[in-house]
Amino acid sequence: MYEEPYRWVEAVGNRRQYLDEQFKQGSPVVALSYADGILLLTVSRGTPKLYEIYDRIALGGMGHPADLEKLRFDLLEMAHVEGFNRSPSDVTGTRLVKYGVAPIIKQAFEEIFKAPFIAKILLAELGLKSGRDAFLTINYDGTFEETAGWAVLAATTAIQDHMGTYLKNETGLEAASIEQAVGSALQTWAVGSLVQQRAEAGESPDAPRSADQAPATSPPDAATVMAHLRATVAEKTVECAVLERGAPGSSKYRALKADELGRLLPTDLRNVHREA
Amino acid sequence: MGMHGDFLQLLKEQGYQLETPVSARADGQELTSGTTILAMKYREGVLVAGDRRATAGNTVMYDRTDKVLDLDRHSVLAIAGVPATAYEMARVLEHSFKYYRRTQLQELSFEGKLRAVSKLLKDNVAAALAGTGAVAPIFAGYDLEHGAAKIFFYDILGAEFEGVEYAVSGSGSPTIRGILHYLNSWGTQPLSELSEEEATIQALRLLTCAAEFDSATGGVNREANLYPVVKLITKTGVQTITDRRLKPLFDAKVSRHV
Repeated sequence: MYEEPYRWVEAVGNRRQYLDEQFKQGSPVVALSYADGILLLTVSRGTPKLYEIYDRIALGGMGHPADLEKLRFDLLEMAHVEGFNRSPSDVTGTRLVKYGVAPIIKQAFEEIFKAPFIAKILLAELGLKSGRDAFLTINYDGTFEETAGWAVLAATTAIQDHMGTYLKNETGLEAASIEQAVGSALQTWAVGSLVQQRAEAGESPDAPRSADQAPATSPPDAATVMAHLRATVAEKTVECAVLERGAPGSSKYRALKADELGRLLPTDLRNVHREA
Repeated sequence: MGMHGDFLQLLKEQGYQLETPVSARADGQELTSGTTILAMKYREGVLVAGDRRATAGNTVMYDRTDKVLDLDRHSVLAIAGVPATAYEMARVLEHSFKYYRRTQLQELSFEGKLRAVSKLLKDNVAAALAGTGAVAPIFAGYDLEHGAAKIFFYDILGAEFEGVEYAVSGSGSPTIRGILHYLNSWGTQPLSELSEEEATIQALRLLTCAAEFDSATGGVNREANLYPVVKLITKTGVQTITDRRLKPLFDAKVSRHV
């Protein structure tokens, strides 16, 4: 029955619904450039979501762990074979995405008799100079976007826009210290996580709402964000990794250990982190 | 599939071959070779040094070769033999260690790294015997798991030997092997008790000795500001001693004895 074009379109539409459903519980991912490189941050419940791909490329993901693993291996394989056969300088995020994983994800998404990848991917690539960092995000249907300065992953584009708006208001990020970068990334994460929670509670930012309700499109206020973060830090694991321009050797990726991260958290969260 | 994190296997699946089996050497063509490399343990870790000359027969091909190559933050490969093959091996190893760490989310064990070197040499036996690709490297590093510096050296067929105190390889190595044995046994203190500076001075002296008696080993050329490559591997990682630090040591502790 899928031979009929409109059936196929319908089936693909159903897939979107199905996939959107899968990401509802997912934890947003934030990546941003700061003075010494790039910082990636997310909050996880055990399974790591941040990974090293190549000398200057890191990955952040949302979705099913098995699908993320598959795509992570594809990326690693492509990057290392290319880096060996040509040179490490020829391994770029854009090429890995455009000619590598994006077509694979798109194909899986449109082959309606097979399972799609339940995965959204963010690649952060450290430039040789500051201001040359690149960020790429790939959606579950294979569409990708390249941005400068920062990138985020969240359950829906609406939530990503909220996080983006928050990040745009954080001025001076490109000159920020690592502490400031951790602070901004955590708050952006919390904005995404809160909007996601509200959307789930039926107060969707996209759905029409009655006049007496507070507009869902307004960002959560600072106090709400802090309260949310305090609860999160106490219960879950903050995962954080950096690509450092000044790191010795060719590999620039480093995952921050719990005690180091503890020292970098905003002051009012440090105690909560220590007790957790 | 690469789920095992084996990069060499992945390359082979794509048609890669390390050795280039050549049945006979091209007539009259001298292959690039000749070297002195050494590794010795000192108080904080292991020192690895190499001269910088590449020769083909009587011809000096190049006087700024780097024969001590970083493989990762805690291990180096010092190479003696045919450079083309040796550099290729170092490239394969570097990528293999990275690929393993990034796919398996843990560092390849020290033993695993040693095996990787042996495996490459074994794959290369035909070229080694034909004379077009003989390599006898030294692998040295700091084993974080066991908290100890280690030295291993190999013959061209891939046999692995542990250098408990030191190891040497290359055409100039017979000259300094005896000296190392003498220093370690009857010197004022065993090599493993030398400080970083003392070990560096000994390495410079040893390479100067090798250059004295082996034409294929390059010595220090102060006018050209040319010094050997000296690297230290400790708990904190690989560190290269800059020429700026080697120069005064050479002037004060080596040259006046020559």
